[in-house]
Amino acid sequence: MWDGIIVGGGLAGLLAGIRAAERGKRILMISEGVGSLTYSSGVIDFGNVAQLVRQDKHPYALLGESIVRNGADYFQAHFPDYHGKWREVQTVLTPLGSPRKAGFIPNGLNAQVLHDAHLIVLMAPEGMKDFFPKVTKANLERAYPQCVVKVHPFRLDAFESWHTLGKPVNGMDYTKYWRSASGTGALKGVVNSLNQELDEARSDPADPGKSVVVFPGLASAFSNSIKEVLSDLPFPVVEMTAFPPSASGHKLYDALKETFGALGGELMVGTGVKQVEIQGKRCHKIIVKSKGKDSEFSARSFVLATGGVFGGGIEVTPEASKEMVFGLPLYVPDEWTNSEFLGDQPYARIGIEVDRELRPIDSKLNEVILENVQVIGRMIAHWDPWVEHCGGGVSLASGWFAGETM
Amino acid sequence: MTDYQVVIVGGGATGVGILRDLSMRGISALLLEQGDLAHGTSSRFHGLLHSGARYAVKDPVSAAECIDENVILKQIAAHCISDTGGWFVQSSEDAQSYVEQWIRGCAYAHIPIREISLADAYLKEPLMSKDVLRVFEVPDATVDGFKLVWANAKSAKRYGGDYKTYHQVERLILDNKRIVGVAAKNLVNGEEIMVHCEVVVNAGGAWASQIVGTIGVPLDVICDKGTLLAFNQRLFQRVINRLHPPSDGDIFVPHETITILGTTSEIVDSPQENQPREPEVKRLLAMGEKLLPNLMGHRVIRAFAGVRPLHREDSEVPGSVEEGREVSRTFVLIDHEVHDGVEGLISIVGGKFTTYRLMAEKVSDWVAEKLGNTAPCSTAKENLMSEIPQDLRKQALRLLPCVAAEKMLERLGDDAEEVLTKIMDDPRKGQMLCECEMVSVAEVEKVASDEDSHHLADIRRKTRLGMGTCQGAFCTYRVLPLLGLENKKFDPLQDELKRFINQRWKGIRPVLWGQQLRETELTRAIYASILQLNENPG
Ligand SMILES: Cc1cc2nc3c(=O)[nH]c(=O)nc-3n(C[C@H](O)[C@H](O)[C@H](O)COP(=O)(O)OP(=O)(O)OC[C@H]3O[C@@H](n4cnc5c(N)ncnc54)[C@H](O)[C@@H]3O)c2cc1C
Ligand SMILES: Cc1cc2nc3c(=O)[nH]c(=O)nc-3n(C[C@H](O)[C@H](O)[C@H](O)COP(=O)(O)OP(=O)(O)OC[C@H]3O[C@@H](n4cnc5c(N)ncnc54)[C@H](O)[C@@H]3O)c2cc1C
Repeated sequence: MWDGIIVGGGLAGLLAGIRAAERGKRILMISEGVGSLTYSSGVIDFGNVAQLVRQDKHPYALLGESIVRNGADYFQAHFPDYHGKWREVQTVLTPLGSPRKAGFIPNGLNAQVLHDAHLIVLMAPEGMKDFFPKVTKANLERAYPQCVVKVHPFRLDAFESWHTLGKPVNGMDYTKYWRSASGTGALKGVVNSLNQELDEARSDPADPGKSVVVFPGLASAFSNSIKEVLSDLPFPVVEMTAFPPSASGHKLYDALKETFGALGGELMVGTGVKQVEIQGKRCHKIIVKSKGKDSEFSARSFVLATGGVFGGGIEVTPEASKEMVFGLPLYVPDEWTNSEFLGDQPYARIGIEVDRELRPIDSKLNEVILENVQVIGRMIAHWDPWVEHCGGGVSLASGWFAGETM
Repeated sequence: MTDYQVVIVGGGATGVGILRDLSMRGISALLLEQGDLAHGTSSRFHGLLHSGARYAVKDPVSAAECIDENVILKQIAAHCISDTGGWFVQSSEDAQSYVEQWIRGCAYAHIPIREISLADAYLKEPLMSKDVLRVFEVPDATVDGFKLVWANAKSAKRYGGDYKTYHQVERLILDNKRIVGVAAKNLVNGEEIMVHCEVVVNAGGAWASQIVGTIGVPLDVICDKGTLLAFNQRLFQRVINRLHPPSDGDIFVPHETITILGTTSEIVDSPQENQPREPEVKRLLAMGEKLLPNLMGHRVIRAFAGVRPLHREDSEVPGSVEEGREVSRTFVLIDHEVHDGVEGLISIVGGKFTTYRLMAEKVSDWVAEKLGNTAPCSTAKENLMSEIPQDLRKQALRLLPCVAAEKMLERLGDDAEEVLTKIMDDPRKGQMLCECEMVSVAEVEKVASDEDSHHLADIRRKTRLGMGTCQGAFCTYRVLPLLGLENKKFDPLQDELKRFINQRWKGIRPVLWGQQLRETELTRAIYASILQLNENPG
């Protein structure tokens, strides 16, 4: 008998697991896949908290501002590789080199220094997929008009055979290489030669001074070896966020998993929960199909963190929408879409309606459906991360709260 | 003084067919198109090269026209056509009496048909409903509308024909009841131009009445909207028609790796009303189920709609105005001198994609006679595309994966050489920018730099970029830098990107469920969150 079983191991589920395990609970987490963090840039946004806590039915409104803040503080205390302050807006560079707003960001991505820079050196790793030096340069010039932007191309022996074949090297490949022993050496070489070049420029009396290096495909957070190389440099290095898949997001996923495991949490990845056993208003057991045979797990309480439509927790067909684990009723908006793709899209608010304890409710009867189940992250109804920019924030707040109370 | 003997308004299949025909007869002609070529119905249709069998009972004239043209086009436009063959399938709900009539109709129109045993049929099309009584094979085929339109334009150009895209004809110019030219606006830079000519051909499709309306000439064109669904797989290997009186959702047409199911029929007020709607989608799915059970379980990647121009005078059957499908699908030529006393103006209305060449021939005969030109029509005899040189094909196969190479050669013909040179200079440009449709970086670069590419949508039509299963989430991002390099030609990038995404969204909205919905979440995450193209109040 487990104290708690968490179904779904994305950002929300993992944070819930970490908090609960830290409280001494025996937690089992079962996850079909690895969640959406590897697609995301690793940045955690909170959105306009003051406004969203007043928005009818929004998860922030149910939880209240202090819980949203607790989630954020808790995350930050455990992951010092992240930078940010409650209610402060950070700036990072998009994969196209434009500045964007952000909440908490992996160390190394902070683009604030660019405001005082006079020279930006844009590192251009040869043949890096989905990185476009010319466009990035133009966007940097537009955003920081006081700067001269120079592109600094380089190529590595390690990828020579890839280049000859015309095979793409993506940001994840570069990051992986930089983290290896030989890669760290190569990184030193690359930044040293850059440093020499900048030195020469600095001795030039016409040199404007303050230089900043912009570096795609690096991901120094959670890597001591890379941090060490960068710390010796006489100029700041600003990493760019990545187009999916993103090393920064992936590293956060790894770090969350590691923390959960270190606290004694048990994680099963690769199997999905297909069936549950319910008596009255309580769930007792879940059944997992793995390698052709069924295994059962019992627990006192359960957390549903299956990631909504994108995570696989909700399936929509032309006839019906379905929550896949407990068969819980869903809020489904009447109007499904709007013409402006990046504007408000009603469909995105699909999810499970919950009470202030995050337990699923029947909103017509105003009754809790399952007393020992909590719903977190993207499974909750009535929010749209893509217009409210609060994807990470809702996952942290609801995850922390479930971990605290289960 | 005239600039051209003839101005053609409209760059759909009909317009470019006329341009080619006139140019081959040595008549100087200019075609003006308000969008990109095939921006109207000619890229928003089913892509079926009719055998005529669908019209065998109700419309024998159309049926006979179709089978003749079917044979001709398979010859002269082989690179745009996939000769899949087609079946007519009688389900248990379909009347035997209709089948008998249909067999007689096909014989009358000289459409070859052959009955196939059910055992053989299920072997060849395992997904087909088990509720089938009889199956007949006909010479249906599939056609890539966009390719065919461009092939005509390029062929016309070789004979001296001219065309200008993004030129909207605003007014016809009259001198004492005689047409002397047109006034048009360049929609890219706003410039107004005037073109003098002796004859104007109105090939504006569903827009035809608006064009002659500029000089107060009435032309009654009914706009009949048809919605189509694209599935992400090749569900059938050949065209599958239901053997019953033509109705909604009764034809499946396979194209490369997808299948298109259609269509519906609804009278609308203007050709702009081409937004597919959810009820139409559901109706199509319900009807399609009759031929392919569990159709809902297959993934729809988009819905789209086109507007058929039907000539009202054909529709004297009572009630037929409400029911677009009842109107004859054959075409009419309207000499406005005879009808309205305006000399030098002819409108061509109705017809089908399949009969575009025949329509062009009839129009060109009329024009030639008017201008005293006696050269006969030769469009049925000469291939649209010159043969691709062997060494070019070999080179393509060396530099690109086999399927990608063939697709590119079909899309570009001789122009492929430029793309291959780019790849030789820099092998990375051989990488697939659009992994779904196999379009290389070099090809997109070439097409983006074409003089007549002004929008991302033009590049999409020319390359099929963004038409695959990822909905353009990835390739749209990847095409940006290439547009960025084409200085000043494309709008500020972010606007262009938003417009493009919204256009694609139009076709996705009515089919937003299942895998499609997941892709939508990812696409919105990428563009709103990672690239932050929308407002972030945070
Ligand atoms: C491309 C992209 C970019 C993003 N960018 C940002 C950003 O910039 N800022 C920000 O704040 N947020 C961003 N996010 C959003 C943020 O990552 C999500 O809101 C958040 O990760 C959702 O977390 P989740 O834990 O609810 O779901 P997920 O991370 O999707 O995790 C759900 C998990 O449940 C598993 N699962 C599903 N069904 C079952 C089952 N039956 N049994 C067992 N397991 C199951 C899935 O396999 C998955 O592992 C982005 C997301 C994406 C996709
Ligand atoms: C849903 C649907 C399915 C179909 N399926 C098939 C099929 O499977 N097989 C088949 O054979 N036929 C099919 N058809 C019919 C076929 O698509 C049309 O008959 C054919 O494409 C019409 O071509 P067009 O050149 O006459 O018109 P269009 O392609 O519409 O060309 C007219 C052009 O004129 C331009 N224009 C309009 N006004 C102006 C102006 N003022 N200045 C400049 N340019 C202007 C427009 O932009 C447009 O590009 C289908 C039609 C529909 C609607």
